[in-house]
Amino acid sequence: MKNKYLYIILIAGVLSSCFKDKGNYVYTEHEEITVTGIAASYDKISLVDRITIDPVVTSNKPGAEFKYWWGLYETSVQGAVPKVDTLLRTKAIDYLVVQPAKGWVLVFGAKNIKTGYTKIVTSNINVITQFTRGWYVAKTEAGKTDLDLYLTPTSAIPGGKMENVFSMVNGKKLNGKAHTLRFYQDYKALTGTSFLNTRSLFVVTDEDASVVNIGTIKEIRDFNTLFYNAPAVKKPDIVTNGSAAFYFINNGKLHSIYNMSANSGQFGVQQMVNEYNADYKLSKFFYSAGFYDPYFFDELSSSFYSAGGASLQLTSVNSSATSKMPAKNNNKRLLYMGFKTTAQTFAVFQDKTNQNLKILSTITPSVSAMVILNDTLAASEKLYSATMHTLFNGDENMMYFVVGNQVWSRNLSNRFEQLQYTVPVDETISFIRHLKYAVSADLAFNYNYVAIASKKGDSYNIRMFTKTSGNLNPIPAFTITGKGEAGDVMYISPSVSGSTYPNTL
Amino acid sequence: MKNLKYILMATVLLLLYSCKEEYYLYNDIKRIQFGPDITRIYTPSYNLADTLKSYTFFYESTAKQQDTLFFDIYAIGGISNTDRSFKLEQVAVPGAENAVAGKHYKAFNDASLTSKYVIKSGAVHAKVPVVMLRDATLKTTTVTLKFQIAQNENFSTGEPTNLGRKAVFTDRLSQPPSWDNSATLYYFGKYSVVKHNFFIEQTGQKWDNDFILAIRPDYALLTYWRGVVKVALVNYNLQNPGKPLTDEFGEIVVIP
Repeated sequence: MKNKYLYIILIAGVLSSCFKDKGNYVYTEHEEITVTGIAASYDKISLVDRITIDPVVTSNKPGAEFKYWWGLYETSVQGAVPKVDTLLRTKAIDYLVVQPAKGWVLVFGAKNIKTGYTKIVTSNINVITQFTRGWYVAKTEAGKTDLDLYLTPTSAIPGGKMENVFSMVNGKKLNGKAHTLRFYQDYKALTGTSFLNTRSLFVVTDEDASVVNIGTIKEIRDFNTLFYNAPAVKKPDIVTNGSAAFYFINNGKLHSIYNMSANSGQFGVQQMVNEYNADYKLSKFFYSAGFYDPYFFDELSSSFYSAGGASLQLTSVNSSATSKMPAKNNNKRLLYMGFKTTAQTFAVFQDKTNQNLKILSTITPSVSAMVILNDTLAASEKLYSATMHTLFNGDENMMYFVVGNQVWSRNLSNRFEQLQYTVPVDETISFIRHLKYAVSADLAFNYNYVAIASKKGDSYNIRMFTKTSGNLNPIPAFTITGKGEAGDVMYISPSVSGSTYPNTL
Repeated sequence: MKNLKYILMATVLLLLYSCKEEYYLYNDIKRIQFGPDITRIYTPSYNLADTLKSYTFFYESTAKQQDTLFFDIYAIGGISNTDRSFKLEQVAVPGAENAVAGKHYKAFNDASLTSKYVIKSGAVHAKVPVVMLRDATLKTTTVTLKFQIAQNENFSTGEPTNLGRKAVFTDRLSQPPSWDNSATLYYFGKYSVVKHNFFIEQTGQKWDNDFILAIRPDYALLTYWRGVVKVALVNYNLQNPGKPLTDEFGEIVVIP
């Protein structure tokens, strides 16, 4: 029996003999290579700027002899493996940037040929063009839509202007009246032989749509090629995104692209509303918080729906027991719904039977248990007569709205309404938006404006107001003026992504 | 106690033995075996690829009376300065409609093919042609041709799992190999000729192996085509109340 222990020890010894000793018994000091003179990031204009750096490289090992290399690789790549392109094998670099506008990473390597030890240093290169920063205005003249670009060299306040950049680059204008601009950094466009993430701007009118590369404004796809099979009726309503997909509503019908896998940037078949393929018409008002699927409202059935990007059928939305109005078949017309926070939003409804009944609703979105809390609007309240609305994205709990040529505010906590601005009598308000840009990497250009766009004769004004405690300051920070009628405005910079702004109105 | 002692000793011996790594060198005699496409020979997950190939004459014009499937075969044990023939033989599959040599396919010893079943000098790889004949019976049947390598004067057999291949062919609409279990479960549902025909009629596409292989890597494109046929099926059933599309097995056609 005592031998048992002997055998166990023997087995343990045999087992341990199968292991190789991989211990490191070198006790000399590790080499430290230090590289200075390379900034964390650079902004460079493609085909204009050069990367000019002469770094200082030292080692704590005496007599170090280095060899060097510089490389560059692309960021935000999906559908392909990025590779490092070697640029140079010298210590100093003086390289003309020829890459397209997007994010790149510059890599510097210094190898001590005596020890074989290498130090790698990287730096972000934001390749930009004249088109990658500024205010874009989608405007319409004589039934045709184009883009005006207001350049912002030092801050969000314009310092230059380029008119009609869409037609200047593409040799055509879009048909119809402009109503939506949307930007995405991960829309897939053909680059070489692969479809890769491309910083892209959607320009949408009531008759047409186009998506352009923001670095060049060159059209990637027109309306017909945006779909595998273009709808017979060209009547774009909205373009938006969700957690994993892009969505396009045309003539009230939803099309989507599941964007978490390789795709060619084309929208799919029209999603069905139910298993019987019943008719439906989605409102242009919807709610999208970016990190989950959006919420839509069917005007025919007066019901909320959600939708997955890879789905063939809309997702039915159920009400919570605490909801004061059902999410399905509530006999309401949606007059407005926008974005307030990622957890809650507001909507204005009108009853289909009793059209005098209008409701301001607080909505907590949920596919399984949507909560709708209602506040009936009195005809004497200004919001009752509103024609356009906007919510403050994450700011004060207020809604701005338009009555005639006046812009009013309503405190959503206490119902207090207040006149904020009156446009001159010879102007007609085109839209109002709360526009906020709060990107820490781009502080000099951050802003927080309420935009009031109006039409005066054959020109547009977009007044950008700052606000204090939810109230507009009396004088706009600046006014953008151009030819035609403005349909939408969006600030673009190298730091803007698909989640920088709410995708809703 | 004695038993324990012997068990422990045996364990020690086993442990000692397990430290030794063993290799199959294949340098004793020349062997031959099937394998994946030559671009996949170093991808272990493809080791058993292409064991079954399906084909239908359905899409071809009536002028086409024969067609060829190719399999990949590999010699093991080095190259040779001379051409080396290898030998194939049919294996009957119990319960299947076995292909008949000379009627459904050209026999492996057909004079026109003997020169094809050869590993060329200086090579270790060859494409093995299986010539299918468009016999009239294929309009109503699907035949199976299972075949395997037989030892000859040039080669002994290689790995047992790679000695055989199977071809299944017909002149009817048939389930493409790419409409596999995964496609059945996630994309198209259970295969039936009725469903397959419906897909073809509604889309104008062949829905053959090449088509499905072309759309599967692009999930958005795959979803689009799945959506087209699903919407078409819903609309068909709405237009035929009480008579939903039903397949040859009597089951209602469903697309997941």
